[in-house]
Amino acid sequence: MTTSLMINGEERSLTCDPRTPLVDVLRNELRLTGTRNVCREGYCGACSVHVDGKPMSSCLLPVGTLEGRDIVTIEGISQGDKLDVIQQAFIDLDVIQCGMCFPGMVMTLRPFLRDNPSPSRDAVKFALVGNVCRCTGYERIIDAVMSVVDATEVTE
Amino acid sequence: MSDQSFADKAVMDFPRRDAHDKVTGRTRFTVDIGGSEVLHAALLRSDHASARIIKLDVEPARKMPGVRAIATGSDVPGRYGIGIADYTLLAKDVVRYHGEPIAAIAADTLEQARAALDAIELELEPLPASLTMADSLAENATLVHPDWQDYEVLFEGGVRGGNIAWEATVERGDTDAAFAREDVTIVEGFYEVGRQSHVPFEPRAAVASFEDGRYHIHASTQVPWTVRTVTARVLGVPESHVRVTVPTVGGGFGLKFDASIEPCAAVLARMTGRPVSIINSRREEQMTCLSRENAEIRIRSAVTSEGEIVGREATVLMDCGAYGGEQVFLTTMTTHTLGGNYKLGAVRICSRAVYTNTPPNGAFRACNGVYNTFALERHTDEIADAIGMDRMEFRRRHVLGDQDISATGQVYDGDVLAPMLERMEVLRAKSGSRKDLAGNRFYGEATTVGTWLIFVGPSAATVNLNYDGSATLVTTGVELGQGTMMQALPQIVAANLGIAPEDVIVKTADTDAAGRDLGVGGGRTTVSIGAASEAACTVVRDKLLGVASEILQTPKKDLVLARGRIEIKGRPGSGTTIQQVVAEAESRFGPISGSGSFTTPPFECMPGCTAGHFIDAIEPVFAVHNCELAIDPDTGKVDILAYRVVQDVGRALNPRAIHGQIQGGVVQGFGYALHEEITINETGAFDQTGFENYLLPLATDSIPVEFDLYEGAPAVGPFGTKGAGEIPILNVAAAIGCAVANATGKQVSSMPLTPPKIAALIDDCNPPLQHDHISPVWSENTIERK
Repeated sequence: MTTSLMINGEERSLTCDPRTPLVDVLRNELRLTGTRNVCREGYCGACSVHVDGKPMSSCLLPVGTLEGRDIVTIEGISQGDKLDVIQQAFIDLDVIQCGMCFPGMVMTLRPFLRDNPSPSRDAVKFALVGNVCRCTGYERIIDAVMSVVDATEVTE
Repeated sequence: MSDQSFADKAVMDFPRRDAHDKVTGRTRFTVDIGGSEVLHAALLRSDHASARIIKLDVEPARKMPGVRAIATGSDVPGRYGIGIADYTLLAKDVVRYHGEPIAAIAADTLEQARAALDAIELELEPLPASLTMADSLAENATLVHPDWQDYEVLFEGGVRGGNIAWEATVERGDTDAAFAREDVTIVEGFYEVGRQSHVPFEPRAAVASFEDGRYHIHASTQVPWTVRTVTARVLGVPESHVRVTVPTVGGGFGLKFDASIEPCAAVLARMTGRPVSIINSRREEQMTCLSRENAEIRIRSAVTSEGEIVGREATVLMDCGAYGGEQVFLTTMTTHTLGGNYKLGAVRICSRAVYTNTPPNGAFRACNGVYNTFALERHTDEIADAIGMDRMEFRRRHVLGDQDISATGQVYDGDVLAPMLERMEVLRAKSGSRKDLAGNRFYGEATTVGTWLIFVGPSAATVNLNYDGSATLVTTGVELGQGTMMQALPQIVAANLGIAPEDVIVKTADTDAAGRDLGVGGGRTTVSIGAASEAACTVVRDKLLGVASEILQTPKKDLVLARGRIEIKGRPGSGTTIQQVVAEAESRFGPISGSGSFTTPPFECMPGCTAGHFIDAIEPVFAVHNCELAIDPDTGKVDILAYRVVQDVGRALNPRAIHGQIQGGVVQGFGYALHEEITINETGAFDQTGFENYLLPLATDSIPVEFDLYEGAPAVGPFGTKGAGEIPILNVAAAIGCAVANATGKQVSSMPLTPPKIAALIDDCNPPLQHDHISPVWSENTIERK
């Protein structure tokens, strides 16, 4: 069975077993290793990708179910040296430690901030319950997110 | 660096250079090494806690599709360990824990390797299993290692026997006399804690190849030299035949402070002539995690009405699982942590690593310091209550200060803990009480202190001063996420050579390139590798200034290095560039480089009071934590309302990064204290197999930690630095445990404090801890020494 889908703007035809989780196809066949393979249960969010613009855990997506869908991975987020504002904020505020969870954080936060341009701190925390980080204790990640939110519109 | 203050020279809060690739997903960890030439290996693991291997026939598996090689115990015969060589890489004859590897298969794909495991014919005959320390210490207990006496001893001085893998004791002063005094109150406490799993996002992983007759292992490890040594031992080859390189590591927290799967990848690479990758699945990683060990603790103290602790005795049982591993070493740390914090009269402490038929344990951030501090601080509250003294007042009066002696009789320099307690009062006053937030719930607050050590040991560094004026630092330090390799080390080299930290290249770890190093852990990297790097810079500076002195016709002592130039002191612009001096040096004697080294400074303890200790005297590092929390009286759920840390950092090179370590370490401590729980079922396996049932802290479980960095305590590290990453977790369980006790008015003596456990505590439904296998007579808990 062949599955045709868009990955980072390119049309791809995949001939693997349709039950193969998307994360394995991305990492092993397409070598897009920025999508991290961590818990494989849908809890950690490190393998998040955008499917038609929505963040989803790619470990829970059998590739055969994605015919015609538009997939964007972390590699498709930044154009050359131009980073997303949230990526830049993570760098500027020295938030990163081991870094394994950060691609997934970016994939969750980008559409969240698009849909919620002025979230409260608590709202950002709730948005990240599906993105686990073992290193940082989260708060400095939240600080970085709040730094790119228009402070005047924040309502706690 | 004596000629100028460091603050003038160092770039503070240096941005980490790996940040860009980490946020864009470009970083390649060991798990990301791939390509069509790489074979994939899977491990056959025991599903029994204790069994004899009756049959192990791998021949049917060889015929399976894609299979390239199979390794069993006879291919990796050597034993290894810390202190005692009791560990085997692949089980032979018997298995001692659920999950113990028995065979390894390399195949073209991981699916093929896993499918071939099912074709191995394995028959196990169950044997009696000791699943708890009580089982292992019972009379006529089954021995986990019946042949323990035959094992090679790698570190002399430990006492062991039967199911006691290692015993460390300290005895200073006449404890019996102290307890016999008529003017003392005797306070006794029992405590117990469960295991904690590290859950680094990158599991243990290795990709090995066999090149030109040598093994080359890319490993996700904190200890490249340990991997080299262990691989050589188990394969029976010279250590020089093993090279270990370490790409960026996706978290360690101590789990990767021991070798595990790396030698399996190596032997399969030799058999196949191809690179072989072994990556633990998340389930394997959880089920065989070298966890922070479960422990059982008894402490007894003789205290005067003024709170003077004239006598203290303690017994700590540490479950090492089926092999000794790191716990053998960590028995030492009980003396320095449970025996820390307070001035003690006579003291005797016994710390024992106990074999059980359970997955082996290991090192985890601040190790047994975390639960020893919990037990000590709960015990301290109980002492204060018993003599009717305010808990904070007790601490203020009795914490260790300048010229006080430690449990091993080491004389400590400097008043550090008392001023840190004062700084905590300031921090509390500044941010104000959060009691209002508790509403109708129980409210509790506690302040606790903790003692850890700067784990030092050997490090080596070489600095090459390049033709372009940049410098290359070669060490075997590893970047786990803590940032030392990205920030502190280039900052230290840059400040010493008068160049920008951006111009310092830090080579990733390669045992073929740099001298030996103990590994990244224990808060040692900035101190030990930093000091070795500084020593290397001293050699480089000397050569550089020697040549410059001739060029500028000025004595060396009148030259300064700054901004890539060598200037005559007090005359900016008078000198020349480093590049020009390097060029001149190359024409005279060749390129400029220098090497330096560092090892444990000669701290001294009282001779003769310790036995079985790997470290008798230490450089202490202290922490004071304060916690305010609320407890739902119906569900037992805890909400942390405020968390405050005053940490002894020596000197803060990167306050932002230290903030990151404190926030991250404290939240890991929240998990340990409140909801990260491992239970072991009747098959000897962990019930928690992954993220669904091993509950890690989420964003909604954290709060911003308020902190104050205490600078200026005595420190051996470069520029007065101390490691800052290890200890943020040190007293979290203590602070939460004491705050829960304060909120409920109940005795809190075990961790984790899950909601059901707290609900039962409130309703007085928890049975009192019973440790019948710990004798009330201290000496009966030790092996009699000859």
